[in-house]
Amino acid sequence: MPSLGPQPYPGQEKRLRLLAFVRQDAVIRVDKRVEDTAMVWPHLLVIEFIVAMLWLVGLFVVSALFNAPLQDIANPDHTPNPSKAPWYLLNLQELLLHMDKALAGVIVPTVLLFVFLPLIPYIDRSREGVGRYFTDKTGLRIFQFSAVYTTVLTFALIFIDYLLKKAGYIEWAGDHLPGGKQLFPNWLIPIAVMLGLSALLVLLVDKLFGANTRGKMIALFTGFVFVYVVLTFVGTSMRGPGMDLYPPWALPPTIQ
Amino acid sequence: MLDLPTQAWDWLRRTYVWRSFFRHGYPDSRKNQSLTVFTNVFLHLHPVKVRRHALAIPYTWCMGGLSFFLFLVLTLTGTLLMFYYHPTTDLAYSDIKDLETVVVFGQLLRNMHRWAAHGMVITVFLHMARVFYTGSYKPPREFNWVVGVLLFFLTIMLSYTGYLLPWDQLAFWAVTVGYNIAAATPFIGNEVSYLLFGGYELGPNALLRFYVLHVVGLPVLTGFLMAIHFWRIRKDGGISGPL
Repeated sequence: MPSLGPQPYPGQEKRLRLLAFVRQDAVIRVDKRVEDTAMVWPHLLVIEFIVAMLWLVGLFVVSALFNAPLQDIANPDHTPNPSKAPWYLLNLQELLLHMDKALAGVIVPTVLLFVFLPLIPYIDRSREGVGRYFTDKTGLRIFQFSAVYTTVLTFALIFIDYLLKKAGYIEWAGDHLPGGKQLFPNWLIPIAVMLGLSALLVLLVDKLFGANTRGKMIALFTGFVFVYVVLTFVGTSMRGPGMDLYPPWALPPTIQ
Repeated sequence: MLDLPTQAWDWLRRTYVWRSFFRHGYPDSRKNQSLTVFTNVFLHLHPVKVRRHALAIPYTWCMGGLSFFLFLVLTLTGTLLMFYYHPTTDLAYSDIKDLETVVVFGQLLRNMHRWAAHGMVITVFLHMARVFYTGSYKPPREFNWVVGVLLFFLTIMLSYTGYLLPWDQLAFWAVTVGYNIAAATPFIGNEVSYLLFGGYELGPNALLRFYVLHVVGLPVLTGFLMAIHFWRIRKDGGISGPL
């Protein structure tokens, strides 16, 4: 007679034991509805192929029409005015004008990239709204509100800083504030403004829209995106010689 | 006579050698479509089936795929550029000049590399925004979001290290801005700038370090994280969609 594998001892055939309860929301359910799927070949691969070809053609056209910039050979004794970083880092360079170098160039980007962004999924842990832009209509309104709030305030802060410095505020701080020109203008006030306005944004979406954790995250992330975009725009199109502020339509050329 | 090409094609596909290359027929049946995807090393990044939702272009705008596509374009054009470039301060600039004037299609090659690099910073950022606004970082995809954030950082670093290589005024002074930022790191500013730039000013050492980081260090790290990123998409249930 062939073996049927391990057999229970005689008299112990029906002993069952409770190992654990599994809560239903702790199980990751993979959706396996057949009618909702499409074959990768051809449906997905066709899209990928066409999009890749369109972008390749586009890249050829752009590269045929516009040459990559190349200036004179590097000369450490001859500084162009202004010297600017590549555009995707001009947001940091713009930040440098408003606070201490270490705060703007190292601490703020480190906190954003290695603390704020990675922590998002560990703070907002509900699975509500996955796969839908902005979760729902409230999310969309929070996005719109935060975009306007951030854009207006970032431009306003840059302009206020410009006016204050023109009025001699740094010199005044050097004479009258503890810590002189450094502590208040370059550290405490910028930190208070950045944290304060972020907290105010969260508070506002809470009061105005009754935002849950996801809503508050939408507000903060939208704030990050629009600060990034506005600072990049100001750094690229509104900073002329001496990194002075100019309107984008009257930006003087770089003095080589 | 007229069906000779068809007969030759049929014969070719029945040969022992052909059948050792391809273990399935033309993908016009469900079975062969499945086999095509999962017996092909390039296609097997994909599942055999995807949810219809994931095919909608206004859902993803193809931004993740296009980031990968631009990475491949950059790898290819970058490798070709390496044949014409010496990472030394006395040769780098004239090599770029030669690319623009002497090398056949050199200018086009350099332009493609430049614009694809700018494009990749944009597509990666838009991809991150898409993933955030569709809530695709939510469980079980938390860790893949973190990997994605690191890939965004690496994209910026790849672009930035490449910016110095032409060794012109634009490159030199743009990277000087970054040097001053690195040197302002609290407590370890000198160490950080020495590590990245190989000295206390921008010179031959900085050019060499940026070159090595740009063509070996950062691409290898990026490829490693991309492998994890793509693998995790599959393991976490494919492209996100409504529950």
